[in-house]
Amino acid sequence: MVSASLTTYAAPPLAAAGWRARLLLLLAMMLFAISCLSVGAQQGVSAPVTERSVKAAFLYKFLGYMEFPSDPGPSLVVGVLGADDVAAELAQIAGGRNVGSRSITVRKLAEGEPVAGLTLLFVGAEASLPAASLRAAEKNGTVTVTEQDDGLQIGSVINFRLVDERVRFEVSLPAAERCNVRLSSRLLSVAYRVQKGGQ
Amino acid sequence: MYRKTSPVLLLALLSLAPCAHADGAAPDGDIADLTLEQLNEIVVTSVSRQEEKLGNAASSLFVISAIDIRRSGARSLPEALRLAPNLEVARVDARNYAISARGFNNPFANKLLVLIDGRSVYSPFFSAVFWDAQSVVMEDIDRIEVISGPGSTIWGVNAVNGVINIITRSAKDTQGALLSVAGSSGQGDASLRFGGKLSNNGYYRAYVQAMASEDTDSEAGANTFTGMQRRQAGFRADWGLAGGSFTVSGDIYEANLGQFMTRDIRLSGANMIARYMRQLADDSAMRLQLVLDHTERNQPTAYVDRLDTVELEGQHDVKLGDHKLSWGGGYRHSRDDNTPGPGFGFWPYQRTMHWGNLFAQDEFALTPNLRATGGLKVEHNTYTGAEVLPTLRLAWNLDSKRTVWGALSRTVRAPARTDRDFVAPPAPIMTGGTPHFAIGTSPGFESEVAKVLELGYRAQPVQNFSYSVTAWYGDYDKLRTFEPNTTPGPYRGVFEFRNLSEGRTRGIEFWARWQPMLRWRLNAGLVVQDIDTSLKPGSKDATAFGLVINDPSSYWQLRSSHELSEHIQLDWTLRYNGSMPKPYVPSYHELDANLVWKVHPNMDVALAGENLLHAHHAEWGAYPGRSVFERRAVLKLTMRY
Repeated sequence: MVSASLTTYAAPPLAAAGWRARLLLLLAMMLFAISCLSVGAQQGVSAPVTERSVKAAFLYKFLGYMEFPSDPGPSLVVGVLGADDVAAELAQIAGGRNVGSRSITVRKLAEGEPVAGLTLLFVGAEASLPAASLRAAEKNGTVTVTEQDDGLQIGSVINFRLVDERVRFEVSLPAAERCNVRLSSRLLSVAYRVQKGGQ
Repeated sequence: MYRKTSPVLLLALLSLAPCAHADGAAPDGDIADLTLEQLNEIVVTSVSRQEEKLGNAASSLFVISAIDIRRSGARSLPEALRLAPNLEVARVDARNYAISARGFNNPFANKLLVLIDGRSVYSPFFSAVFWDAQSVVMEDIDRIEVISGPGSTIWGVNAVNGVINIITRSAKDTQGALLSVAGSSGQGDASLRFGGKLSNNGYYRAYVQAMASEDTDSEAGANTFTGMQRRQAGFRADWGLAGGSFTVSGDIYEANLGQFMTRDIRLSGANMIARYMRQLADDSAMRLQLVLDHTERNQPTAYVDRLDTVELEGQHDVKLGDHKLSWGGGYRHSRDDNTPGPGFGFWPYQRTMHWGNLFAQDEFALTPNLRATGGLKVEHNTYTGAEVLPTLRLAWNLDSKRTVWGALSRTVRAPARTDRDFVAPPAPIMTGGTPHFAIGTSPGFESEVAKVLELGYRAQPVQNFSYSVTAWYGDYDKLRTFEPNTTPGPYRGVFEFRNLSEGRTRGIEFWARWQPMLRWRLNAGLVVQDIDTSLKPGSKDATAFGLVINDPSSYWQLRSSHELSEHIQLDWTLRYNGSMPKPYVPSYHELDANLVWKVHPNMDVALAGENLLHAHHAEWGAYPGRSVFERRAVLKLTMRY
């Protein structure tokens, strides 16, 4: 435990100014060296990415870890409501990619537009009536994904959260059951938390 | 003692530029080929989407994100607030700060409201924020919303020049153990937090923390005796309920503050918040909040003050067609018990204060691109009765990337005990059976009033560049002055506080974010302002006791966030504060840098350099007694499990 008394380090006054200049020079050279070295070390996906692109990538990935009760047909249709930036990103990802043998279609939805034919619905933070959209989707057997604090409470199957600067997702099994989708154990094992029935 | 800007360091910074990387193209397409597990571990470093959403507000709002705080290396709330370009932050000594927006700054800046998780920390006793009494675990902050300009229609009296909302993360998002320890010459702190699961879909976290800061030296080299040590513990629990949520949190703290030639000032307090939120229907939600707060300040030779507060508030949001309506109300009850020292006091020694408010605000779409917001709050207080706090705002989205907004508001600062009840000496002098003081009381002191016009423009012309410009004009009336008392009566002194000053403020706030490269972000902020106050006819205020303000005419900052590699981040902030007139404080440039090395996914080591450009500089107060802040290095270790 952290005790009441804390160590404060006594300040030894750096006696000569020359001392300080040398110390700073050393520090500066170190920073310079590090920043130059790092040029070679930044290929691949370790580069910073935007939140919208991670969410779009997750939405695409989710499709591969779901089992639907009835055949969704040759194309999986993903609806995006209240998140135009994610829709654009997802459309880019979906172009030229398949899930199994199925192609992916991204549909940008307007408020109140019917959800018929959708496999997955992403309800973004800008949607004005998220709970109503989730309910309509549930009736239709469409799997829903949200990005708000109380996403699972208002009926969503999967909810994104920002945790420790990372995009994480939580899953509600009761909500998944209600729309008759089976989520793979791999998906559940990556989930940041899984809400089970009876809670 | 003074040293000029270190040329070595500037050289080093310049040399970073040509060395910066040329990887402009985003490999965004590739991230879809990652596995679920890999996606789960990607650090998102851009502006969060929630920030972008908040950016649509028709007010001058800047959001300090958790990432910004961590990368800056800030170890206290006031230091984190330096990240907001629309705030004036001046460190006074080892523990005190002067923080304001849009002028009127001083260590008792009385026109800025500060809330921590919805609990006001603005003292109705001293009409200021005691920054030495406020702390949170820095790693548990979700974001800090800084609004410059009036926020009274939602937040009530005292949100005259701005509102700071410090919002901590849900217990759901702070699971596991966290240890963070930081030390430097003269200052150190440590926090330990643990989060776990509760039954019934609940989560909790509990923490302990301690900090110590040594006394600073004055410019003349004398000890200022302003160091402090603080110990704090607390918890937060969050439950997700069907269609709602319930949160309880609490903190308890005590501190010793140094004071010249006396024993330490003792500070202690405890508070608790319970908040219930519920979605009543698709288009209707409510929030109820109860706050209990106790603070005690025992300052030898000054006073012992105990303040107990209970506050209950509720809000209902409902959508009716094109209208988004919010309405609600609140009631606050405070009891202040002050035992005076030999010099001054507050009369009566004990006072019970009440505040009650009702408000309604409607946001409606005039056209698909033009939104109007009209709101009114009526707040009743013990001293001046009902205060009316209206606002009218317009936001016009030219397209999805550009917004023009404007606002007109009337706002007030209601009297605090320090305005109305301050007396010296603490016990009345009886003359002819009538009690008199040398100073106070000030029963004629009314609310200070501000009428503010704001015009703003926000744009994101390209994906990696966005900016915000706000111009404001503020008309202030009935500002506090210190006057000879010309109408003697019972309980009246020779001097009293009155409202015989007025002011005009105008200025421009500007900030921008630019991400020139994938791994490099720049933030810039600039405020240019003219804060002009004058005494009204009839005022005989010859002191600097009533109207205490001291503002620079400009201040700016430039912040760089650089991912040097997957595991190493370098951030630096260059800031400038213009000179201040009364008392004279010279302008200064300073540079802070923070290098974070992620040694292990669960462990960060950070090395920060503070005030790198000069051996020392002052930020507030008169020469030669004012504190100076020295160049120093801070080493910090953070571990998570």
